[in-house]
Amino acid sequence: MLDCVVFLADCLVSVSQCIEVIIGGLDYNQNKVNQWTASIVEHSLTQLVKQGRPFKFIVNCAIMQKSGAGLHTANSCYWDTATDGSCTVRWENRTMYCVVSVFAVALTC
Amino acid sequence: VDYVRSVDYLMYGLICVVLAPPAAVFRTLQWDTDPSALQLQADSELGRRMHRLGASKIVQIDFVPKELVTYTKETQTPSAAHQSEEEEEDEESSELKASPQTDQPEEEGEAEDSKEAHPRELTEEEREQILHSEDFLVFFERSVSVVERALAEEGDIFFDYSGRDLEDKEGDMQGGSNLSFNRVFHDDHWSKHRVVTCLDWSPQYPELMVASYNSNEDAPHEPDGIALVWNMKFKKTTPEYTFHCQSSVMSVGQIVLWDNRSHRRTPVQRTPLSAAAHTHPVYCVNVVGTQNANNLITVSTDGKMCSWSLDMLSQPQESMELVYNKSKPVAVTGMAFPAGDVNNYVVGSEEGMVYSASRHGSKAGIAEMFEGHQGPVTGISCHNAVGTVDFSHLFITSSFDWTVKLWSIKHNKPLYSFEDNADYVYDVSWSPVHPALFASVDGMGRLDLWNLNNDTEVPTASVTIEGACALNRVRWASGGREVAVGDSEGRVWIYDVGELAVPHPEDWSHFARTLVEIRANRGDGEEEGAVELPA
Repeated sequence: MLDCVVFLADCLVSVSQCIEVIIGGLDYNQNKVNQWTASIVEHSLTQLVKQGRPFKFIVNCAIMQKSGAGLHTANSCYWDTATDGSCTVRWENRTMYCVVSVFAVALTC
Repeated sequence: VDYVRSVDYLMYGLICVVLAPPAAVFRTLQWDTDPSALQLQADSELGRRMHRLGASKIVQIDFVPKELVTYTKETQTPSAAHQSEEEEEDEESSELKASPQTDQPEEEGEAEDSKEAHPRELTEEEREQILHSEDFLVFFERSVSVVERALAEEGDIFFDYSGRDLEDKEGDMQGGSNLSFNRVFHDDHWSKHRVVTCLDWSPQYPELMVASYNSNEDAPHEPDGIALVWNMKFKKTTPEYTFHCQSSVMSVGQIVLWDNRSHRRTPVQRTPLSAAAHTHPVYCVNVVGTQNANNLITVSTDGKMCSWSLDMLSQPQESMELVYNKSKPVAVTGMAFPAGDVNNYVVGSEEGMVYSASRHGSKAGIAEMFEGHQGPVTGISCHNAVGTVDFSHLFITSSFDWTVKLWSIKHNKPLYSFEDNADYVYDVSWSPVHPALFASVDGMGRLDLWNLNNDTEVPTASVTIEGACALNRVRWASGGREVAVGDSEGRVWIYDVGELAVPHPEDWSHFARTLVEIRANRGDGEEEGAVELPA
């Protein structure tokens, strides 16, 4: 299980790096935001898979424009709490919020 | 086909198919999302190991909304002291001496009497304290005003009706002249050497009139802009109220609001000098709407029109840039709303064009252009006398080109041009009661009254004001019997108009016939290229 925790910490780091590379320093742009969410998800997933761990991954990315509205989400999972885990990365700049959630479900075989 | 990445319908119905090499092959999975089915699967396929499955903790993500703080009132006026009214009643019954100092112990002595059992002399400190207290100042100012009226009035102040009567009789005795001089308002201290920039009559108290003045070049340390409220009813020669403002009133582009209820002389509210509001001189201010639901509309010379709520002057409710044909903005010098209309209005500009515009609707902004003047438009006035025939499509404009022109909203060339002046015409104003009567003032000190039912070539009545240089502003009183004229020396002249101002019922139909004649003459090839505009 410790393994899992360490692994998730790594996840966090690599995912936040991904986000920074893709939308760091940019302002919210409606034309491009779809490309951004797609590439964030793709790159994060590639990074995670590259680590070669026996996990199934689910990556979710949400980008919200800062317009004064509120956003509230929640999630929960029913799984093997010993071997499975999730992590969420929250990132923001002056014009938008970005939230990426990664769920890792252990592959048993 | 795995490698078709996306199919897009582009604008003109073309279908674009994006082909991409398979970067990652995503197998579609058959999901059976029923949890019980998942459990069964887990049990059957992975039955070798016993898994204890549990729910993970709930991950919550919250972005709180930004709280928008809105105030309906930016400033609060201090509540007036009620006790000043009681003290005032005591005052009026006793005789006031000239110097306030000797009065003081007497009044205070009386007040003290009513409060305490034994009378006593006030000490010097107490006296000073009371003299400088706000309550006393408020009361004193108010009673000074009342007593000034009493001193200036001949006869019984309680029967000012008789005083008014005398004035009226004098007017009649001048042989039924059309324009007779009534009085001049001038304050040596405040209004000397200041140009009258604007005049308006109070809608609630028809005898009150406010005049605004710009900076006094001779006295730089006096406040730059002032507004004085004059009272027509009483004969006293000093203004009722004086208001100061730091910047020249109508020069910098701020709108300031003075509240008559608070006893401060400086503005209660002012709009900020910000890009959201005006950054250029504000030449036109109009309150449109009813008494309860109204808006303040202001236009500045950079073509920006802002609509304000009088409660909140920190930012405009809405603002609009007035541009004609998507080119440069219009430098507006005058604005007028037709009677009863709060949406459509006409503006005059520095280039000499007149434009019609609307505040809301699909065509918000400048609609039509009216060409005709050869110089900057100085004044614009919409017809507002209500009667049997509707003339609300008419408006008149005055300009530096020495003419006054009559227009209809429906034609983009003038209906008629009045060319009797020999100097810049500074302002025009329709009579509020007579359909064919309007007043104009020019730079030579001339006040003209034109009655179009009488003559359209020359004014029906005209007077050159003695001792006035240029006349800047003209405004009719709400009853239509008096005209207020402001000049460049800070004087406000009030003229009674006499019989000429009184409309008769047939004046409306007469004016309709006059208009038909004017149009017929115009149609004789004088104005070519006139376009009939859609209503």
